[in-house]
Amino acid sequence: MERSVYERYGGFAQISRIVLDFYNRIMEDDDLGPFFDDVDMARIVDHQTKFVAMLLGGPAHYSDDQIARMHSHLAIADAHFDRLEEVLAETLADHGIAPEDVAHVVTEFHRRRGLVVKP
Amino acid sequence: MNIEAINEQLLRAIGVGVALVDADAFRFRFHNDTFAEWFGAPEPGARLGDLFPGLESETLQAALAEGGRFTTETTFKLRRRTMVVAMDVTLALDGGQRIAVLVCQNITRIRELESMIDSYSLMVERNTRELKREKEQVEKLLLNMMPRSVYEEYKTFGVVTPRLYTPVSVLTVDFVGFGEMVERVDPGVIVSELNDIYTAFDRIGEQFGCERIKTIGDVYVTVAGVPDAVDDHAAAVANVAVRLVRYLRQRNESHPNAWRCRIGLASGAVIGSVVGVQKYLYDVFGPAVTRAQRLRLLAEPMTICADPDAVAGLEGRFDLESLGPRELADGSRIEVWRMAELAPAGPAGLD
Repeated sequence: MERSVYERYGGFAQISRIVLDFYNRIMEDDDLGPFFDDVDMARIVDHQTKFVAMLLGGPAHYSDDQIARMHSHLAIADAHFDRLEEVLAETLADHGIAPEDVAHVVTEFHRRRGLVVKP
Repeated sequence: MNIEAINEQLLRAIGVGVALVDADAFRFRFHNDTFAEWFGAPEPGARLGDLFPGLESETLQAALAEGGRFTTETTFKLRRRTMVVAMDVTLALDGGQRIAVLVCQNITRIRELESMIDSYSLMVERNTRELKREKEQVEKLLLNMMPRSVYEEYKTFGVVTPRLYTPVSVLTVDFVGFGEMVERVDPGVIVSELNDIYTAFDRIGEQFGCERIKTIGDVYVTVAGVPDAVDDHAAAVANVAVRLVRYLRQRNESHPNAWRCRIGLASGAVIGSVVGVQKYLYDVFGPAVTRAQRLRLLAEPMTICADPDAVAGLEGRFDLESLGPRELADGSRIEVWRMAELAPAGPAGLD
């Protein structure tokens, strides 16, 4: 069986660093941060942990329906989605994830655009 | 720069929030830059309670009077980020003046890490539960293909060693006119009825320690003594055989399709092993199996034929009748016994 990015880069011990850094970057970002203004810290961290774990092939699974439902109340535009994609790719690259793996993760992320972006 | 100035410089610059307040009214006397960055600079004459409305001065006063120390936690937003700060207040004396020293440590990162660990643990625990469920399903499937002790051996060693079991007893059963029934009756009905009947057979077999080995169409094979030894294996299969007949007789009374069985019993040696590399199947073969199959072919509908070894020691427990030496399908001749339940004392007899 092919090993996921999650496994190949050392499992949660390594991925946790990516999660916290990703969390920092999003909270500091003026376009993305406001989505989390009124959200409890524990919930945001929970969300980011599962989000990163899922994209990297870790122990989190969300169906397309679940993803759509979780984001249904948010006014997410294409620009927000693009920005998150950038932050994600930068974070992964800064943590030593190889370009082809970053590309793979970004493709996985990209696939879900239609589920969260409002027309 | 003198030592006091250096100290003050240090106190201002460190990443810990420090403030000094008088221990009576809790008015601010000093605060460092980190403190001001987190909580804002206190106005001149401001009290601790002005910055931290949740901090009751009576509680603080009482704690300081009792142990000279008070600890608590506070959260606030810095930009949009929830900051968590641990506060520690201790009492100090400065030239006869009572001063409360407030030290604030930023524990935001610790709380974020704790949240992440909580999130991860829940994910992993859920996955573990799912894996356990899947493992149980696989185990259940494998247990359909082999006896539990064989499965345990397979799980531990990855292989199953073929074993000779002797003596054991084999029961095989099939149905008269099954081929004709398959052509006449709807396949769904056949399969459903066969399911019911085999399930009943399994239940009856289990009561006497028999292990169902396989079914091939309408042929059902069960054994007593494989893989776990059964003391009175011949009596076990005999008991099962008469109950299968009794079950079918009762069932046929209330069903449009009559299922009439033929049963062969034989005692002797068998080899038990998992056969196949990709498709595992636990199987038994050997003289006792072959003989039971051939004896079955000699049985009249709803009767049981057995070899001499299978009926040895059953006198008085079953109705036994020797049919004399008979030729089996391979041309060999052995004494064949017809076996049935002992007739009950009442008027209702057997077939």
